[in-house]
Amino acid sequence: MTPVHPTPQWAHPGKSLLLPAFWVVLMLIAGGAVRLGLFVRESFAAYPTATLLALVLFGLYAVPFCVFVAALDYLEREPPLLLATAFAWGGLVATSISIRGNAAVHNLVAKLASPGLAAEWGSALAGPTVEEIAKALGIVAIVLVARAQVNSVLDGVVYGSLVGLGFQVVEDVVYAVNAVAVAGRGDQVAPVVATFLLRGFLAGLWSHTLFGALAGAGIGYLAVRTDRPLLIRLSVAVLSVLGAMGIHFLWNSPLLSLGGGAGIFGDLFVKGIPPLLMILFLVRGVRHREADYYMAQLAALGDRRIATEDELRVLAQGHLRAGARRHAHGRCGVKGRRAVSRLQRAQARLAVELSRASGVGMPGLRIGPAVPAGTNVPADPLVPVVPSASADSLVPAAAAGSPLCSPAGVAVGVARVVAAPVQARVLGGPAAVRWRDRVLVERGRMLALGHPEATAPLTRNGSVRRVVGGIAVFLAAMVTVGLALIALGAS
Amino acid sequence: MRVARGTLLRNLAGSIGVLCTVAGLAFGLPAIDSALPAARPVGAGPYPVGGGVTVTPPPGARLDVTLTRPRDTRGTAVFLVGTVRYVIVVAPFDGSLERAAQRLRDKITRGHQITGKEFPTRTATGLDGVQGTYAASGRAGRYLVFLAGDVAIEVTVAGSAPALRAALGAIEASTRTIAYRGGTP
Repeated sequence: MTPVHPTPQWAHPGKSLLLPAFWVVLMLIAGGAVRLGLFVRESFAAYPTATLLALVLFGLYAVPFCVFVAALDYLEREPPLLLATAFAWGGLVATSISIRGNAAVHNLVAKLASPGLAAEWGSALAGPTVEEIAKALGIVAIVLVARAQVNSVLDGVVYGSLVGLGFQVVEDVVYAVNAVAVAGRGDQVAPVVATFLLRGFLAGLWSHTLFGALAGAGIGYLAVRTDRPLLIRLSVAVLSVLGAMGIHFLWNSPLLSLGGGAGIFGDLFVKGIPPLLMILFLVRGVRHREADYYMAQLAALGDRRIATEDELRVLAQGHLRAGARRHAHGRCGVKGRRAVSRLQRAQARLAVELSRASGVGMPGLRIGPAVPAGTNVPADPLVPVVPSASADSLVPAAAAGSPLCSPAGVAVGVARVVAAPVQARVLGGPAAVRWRDRVLVERGRMLALGHPEATAPLTRNGSVRRVVGGIAVFLAAMVTVGLALIALGAS
Repeated sequence: MRVARGTLLRNLAGSIGVLCTVAGLAFGLPAIDSALPAARPVGAGPYPVGGGVTVTPPPGARLDVTLTRPRDTRGTAVFLVGTVRYVIVVAPFDGSLERAAQRLRDKITRGHQITGKEFPTRTATGLDGVQGTYAASGRAGRYLVFLAGDVAIEVTVAGSAPALRAALGAIEASTRTIAYRGGTP
């Protein structure tokens, strides 16, 4: 199983202030902010309504992407400040670099080849090279500033997505304002709406957010998989950035383009959807690996009060977590939904804390061997033993009357229940104790509500229905957007 | 709260790497671009501007390749006749000649002032249009607008007054050669 090393407790955020990378990133973001601020100020002066609309529309456009990234990042949440830094790099630094770099590459193609080649292939050559490198630098910068926070390939995906999202949002605002200027009809909103539909929907889903996710996966692999030879890790990182460049190149190039008014729809199916599916499958695989790792931490406790087998299955996947909350809402109303939500959050945090104890090799933190029940465990002042009597039931801890943590504050759990009942010492830090207690409190609440398990009934063909329904909604949305663009007279 | 020396050095090296790459993209590429000349001689025959429009440039004109972009449905060509800039922009348009002229006047008045009246004009291939003059401090200009098929052709010529006077004859001869899809209006 792919190792996941959660951020150690000792990783103090303030340490980043001592690193040169922090000040480099801060300086570059400040420079980008000044540049973008000047652009926004000039745009407001010339086209106040259109600029405001562009900022609002593309600001709202970022919300579902952020929700998706938050769902990806459910088990081990990344610090919001670091996520904001990734977004700011994409929106402020990478765009500022790209505006200058892209223009230079276009000009160089025109000078070294011809203006015709620059017109046809300039975007395909400049976009992937300059923009993808500028965005990849943002992920590298995040690793340099907060190495301890990047602890799985999925984290690379999350930071890469946010760098790409920041880039996409700011680039689209710039495009929208430029469209207003080019239209030459004053402070009109129609070019902004057309840009929003065209770049936000028809060309947006397989755009910078996805390219960033792919590059982030490779850079995350380079940073995290220290168990692999450096050459292999570097190769994976380079290949992932090249892959992002390749998909970007294909999208920008005239290759496989159908042309004509309906050309964008052809491009969408030929050049947009295949990379979208490929990257989504990659992200899905990476996410499942991380989820499997964390679920194994909970499963090793073998304590049904902490998590039942069904709950582990549900906790690993976003749509199942949501399904469990809906199910609880149906049975017990808002209280049930909230209780399940809190239980799931506490289970996730407990899994991460247990993983911290077992994964980082900290002195004094280890998983003890399983021993037969009733055996006297050698005395260890830091490792009290808990009777396993209540491990396979959903009886609240208080009712079982078992002390759950030691006075010294070291977490204790019960190992996986096997044919012959055994107990084991599962060690964690004080945070693990706190989250385990929280799990048990939430379990108690759910028992009181008469809804003891945070799971949802299995529905037959649920996945098929979801996929077919999703495709139908997607196609309907695309057709609607296309009709809206025709109505707006977008060319 | 301390950082190990090795970590600090590795971080410094990485930071320098990031900074150098940023500088290379944001300043290195533009520096290489600036080092190469943007203007190149243009041939004597008809030059494809884009969107099906062609023009025969004035003799001795040079093409600014950094601003010239011929495409299937639109295009821009920027010629330099001495120090005078002779720009032709072709873009899809479905309005009247009056609307096309108004759109160009709106663009011009953002930094210049329209001077004098507007007059009808016609190319050798039969494209009807209008022309007028504009000025800014130290610069004078001439603009022309034509409609052809589903595109509008905007022409602007600008330079210092003496340079414009010297080049105007050759440029007027060039604008009369503007043709759409080989000569059909």
